[in-house]
This record gives sequence, C-alpha cells and structure tokens, in this order.
Amino acid sequence: MILCRNLARRFGEFTAVDSLSFEVAPGAICAFLGPNGAGKSTTVKMLTGLLPPSSGSVEVCGLDPAAKPIELKRQVGVLPEDLGLFDDLTVEEHLLLTGAVYGIGRRDTHARAAQLLHALSLEHGRHTFAGSCSHGMRKKTAFAMALLPNPRVLFLDEPFEAIDPVTSKIMRDLLESIAQRGITIFLTSHVLSVVEQIATQVIMIRKGRIVWDSPAADLPQGLEQHYFDLVESPVVEELEWLGSPRS
Amino acid sequence: MARLAAVLKALARAVARDQKSLQSVVANNFFIVTALLLRQAGTFIYLIVGLVLLFPLSTDPLRKIPPSRLALWPLEPRERRLLRALSPWINPMTWVIAALALWAGRGKITLGLWALAAALVAAGFLLSDLPFAPMQTVWQRIPQFPGPWNHLIRKNLREMLTTLDFYCALILSLATLFFRSFAPRMPREALLALSVLVVLALSSYAQCLFGLDGRGGLSRYHLLPLQGWQILAAKDTAFLLIVIPLVLPVASLAGLGAAFVALTIGHDPSIHHLRPQLRWRFSSGSSVMLGLGQAALMAVAASGIYFTSALFLMPCLLAWLVSLRISGRAIDRQAAW
Repeated sequence: MILCRNLARRFGEFTAVDSLSFEVAPGAICAFLGPNGAGKSTTVKMLTGLLPPSSGSVEVCGLDPAAKPIELKRQVGVLPEDLGLFDDLTVEEHLLLTGAVYGIGRRDTHARAAQLLHALSLEHGRHTFAGSCSHGMRKKTAFAMALLPNPRVLFLDEPFEAIDPVTSKIMRDLLESIAQRGITIFLTSHVLSVVEQIATQVIMIRKGRIVWDSPAADLPQGLEQHYFDLVESPVVEELEWLGSPRS
Repeated sequence: MARLAAVLKALARAVARDQKSLQSVVANNFFIVTALLLRQAGTFIYLIVGLVLLFPLSTDPLRKIPPSRLALWPLEPRERRLLRALSPWINPMTWVIAALALWAGRGKITLGLWALAAALVAAGFLLSDLPFAPMQTVWQRIPQFPGPWNHLIRKNLREMLTTLDFYCALILSLATLFFRSFAPRMPREALLALSVLVVLALSSYAQCLFGLDGRGGLSRYHLLPLQGWQILAAKDTAFLLIVIPLVLPVASLAGLGAAFVALTIGHDPSIHHLRPQLRWRFSSGSSVMLGLGQAALMAVAASGIYFTSALFLMPCLLAWLVSLRISGRAIDRQAAW
C-alpha cells in the first residue's frame, strides 16, 4: 500500500531524509519512530505529496504523489504535524468542509460528522472556532477530518501527543478497528507505550536513515528499550541548583 | 516594586512591538495613493484612516499578558492594583488624551472635542477587554453559500472582516450613501472617484489573499483534493462578495471592474510573495510600485466602464479568469507553501 525506494530529501547542504526504502502492507499499523529532527515529518510530507523528494520514488495506493496529486489526496487521510486547521472555521465547519470537497453527499457528511463529533467527545465544542480551541480539541478535529472521507491510507503525524487518556484510548481502539477492515495506517509518535500496543510494524529512523524495520512481533525486546538502544539513549543532566537552599 | 517594574518593562516592550505592527498602514495601497495624489485635499481620507486605527491603538496594554500567566506571578494584591493603575500609561493614546485635556483646560480645543476623543479611546480600551465570544457569534452568522466551497468562502469572508481595510472601505461607502441621501445631485466624477477609493481600500488585501490563513491553513489547502484555481476562486468570491455591496452606493459596475483588476494584479504576489498578515491591522501590499500600478490600472478600468461603456467590464472579467487559471496552476506546481 505504501512503497518507498531510496527516498531522499535535501534542504541545501542538509540531508533531512537519506535513502529510505520500506514497504507497508494493506491493513498494517506502521509506527515510524525517531527523535525530533530525525526526518519523520519530512517523510510524511513526501508520502502525502506535500513535499517533493530530492530523489527516490514513492507509491501510495499505487499512485505517485507527484504525478497524481489530486487522485492521491482523495484516497488518503492526513493528520499533519501543524494540524492544518483554519482559525476562522468552527470544529463542525471543518468536518462539513471536508465532506463537501471530498465529494461526499450532504446527508452522509452530516451523519459522519455527527458520529465523529460524538466519538471524539467534540460535541460540546462543535461551534468553537479552531483559533479558540485547546490543542487537544484541535488535534481531535484534525483527526476527525482525516477519517471523515473514509480513506484507504491514514497518515498520522504524532496523533497521541497532547490529548487526554480517554481520547487516546478511543483513538487507539478506532485505529485498531479500521486497520482490521483493511485501512493502512502510517503514524509517527513519541508515546512509545501507546505505539507498542497497536503497531504491527515498526520502523525506526535516526538522522534521516532507517535503523530498524520489522514486524512489531519481531522486536527482540520491549519497544522503549529497543528504541533507546538503537536510536537515542536518555542522558539526565544534574541540575544541582534545583532543591538547593534558596537565596 | 522591582517585580512590578519588571512586569511594566516587559509590557512596554510588548506594546511597542504591537504598535509597530500598525505601521503596515504605510505599505497599504489606500494610504500610499491618497498620500501621493490627494495631499492636503485628503483630510477626510486621513480622518477615516485615523478613526479606523484608533481602536487597535487604544487597546488595554494589560491584555498583552495572558490572564493565566498574570494569575501565576507572585505579585502582592497592592502590586496588582498598582499594575492595573499604571499599565494604561504605557499606551501612548493615554498620554495623547492627557495632553488634549490640558489643551481643553487652556481653551485651545473645545471640551466637547476632548470628550469625543476620550470616549473613543475609552471605548477601544474597554472593547479590547471584552471576551471574544460576542465576535464569534457575529462570525457564525455569515450566510451559507451553495456548493462545495461554502465553508471556504465563509472562512475567507471572516478573514476579510478582521482587516481594517474592510472598515475603511465600509466607512467610505456608508459616507457616500449618507451624502447621496441628502445631496442627490452629486458630481458624476465624484462617484467614480469614490468607487475607485472603496476598491482601493481593499486592494492591498488582494495582494496577500493567503496572509491570514496561518501555517496550518496553508498546509490544509495542499491536503484538500482541490485544484489551485478552485482555492483561489474561493478567495476571490469572498473578495467580490465584500466589494459588490460596498460599491452599490457609488458607481457599481466601475467598482466591480476595478475589483477584477485588483484581483488580477494581486494573484501573483499572493502566491509567490506570501506575507503573513495580522488581524485588526491594515493589509500590507507587496511593493509600492506594484500598488501604484494596481491603483492606476483599477482607475483606468473603472473610468473606461463609467465613461465609455459597461462592455469594458468584459476585458476585466476575462483578465481575471486568465489570471485565475495561470495562478491556479502556480499553486498546483507549489506542492506546499
């Protein structure tokens, strides 16, 4: 469903993504992990056609994002890093806009929007403008927008960050359920405990290069420990002045 | 007192930065063209600009500190009261009103004029402290439109209504309507000039159509399965929906022609020279030369329609459609802004 061959992206002298090659099968939940600045969001942007690659090839749903951008956009749902919301539209208006531009009938759009608002506990804030929403509400709105057109592939850039535990659980259950129905999910996240529960494939990236790619079941140890071993080990700084007598 | 001084210093810095953003008026077509052409005769126009600027200039400086942050700071109740009393003096408008009060006391201006100025500044000060909710209710009342671009058009209308350009054009249009109601025999040329001025007030916005969409909005445009010309058409539709009622009391067809020209010239800088804009400020145009060129072509188009034939509207419409197509392709080629 997602196929990358030697994908690279350079910004001047800086190589953000370097020769990525991987494949994600239909119905998989692929966790794309790495520290900040490793190239995760750049990769998602290239996979969704928001950023042209410097070299290499991408295929999503059998389509090249550069050659068939509109066709690809009709097939995928995206939760972008910056959430992609308009400050001047309300939560509900974002969903209605999505239905209209994806060619979904008015009645269906309203029914799906109502279900999503209910499922994601957004009903009380449906008339709130995105510019006045909390970060959690904004994230849930962007997530609902990604789901509403019933996409074949979902790209989710950090979906579990800054949301409450109940919504996180709802989102997790939703993702598992739709993956079982054949929707492919490609997500980036720093919340390893959640990723560990739902991912069926794990790709780890460090400084723009893949350092691990396997089914989740093939991980030799716990996801967090494996991540620390391969990608980045935590170094705790001693801040001696913290807790010392105050002047 | 050291804590209070630190807060006031930070507040003064924030207010100074905020008021610098009001300088966007000097990159606004309306200001540039009226300053060049009208000079002393433009007193009425400057009064309108001044009136429109008065409200953002009069905001409460204490609003710059997020309430949650202010509540967290370890300030004594006495310090908080002092902060409330001293913070208005960070705003230059308070000093202006104080100076005017002195003048009024010496009889150099009338007490009525001082009271009017003080009331306007006080209104701006108090309005800025109101919660945002009433404004949201107003924005939600923007009508629905048929078709898939409904919410895009509504969003674009809301964006335009948060620029000072619109209020400048609105005052001009209402003033003309008022004048025509009492003096029906207005010179023909004056109607044309006012029509161009109304569109001119909005023409800088036509050069930065995406300036208020923010980073998130811009990335959403590229995620939606829409072609570039469709995104641009939703922007232009909102622009025309604002322009048409505003030019109705003046020379409507001439104004519409000028609007098509303003959009045609504005497409390219809107896409290729993206400039983020601030709400409740005048839109800043791309460059002075482009602004003057845009204004001159608008005047030519409006004059042609007004003095010769309404058929002159056709080339304006055609130019706009061609620009829509070309600029739409430019958006398609730009995978992302």
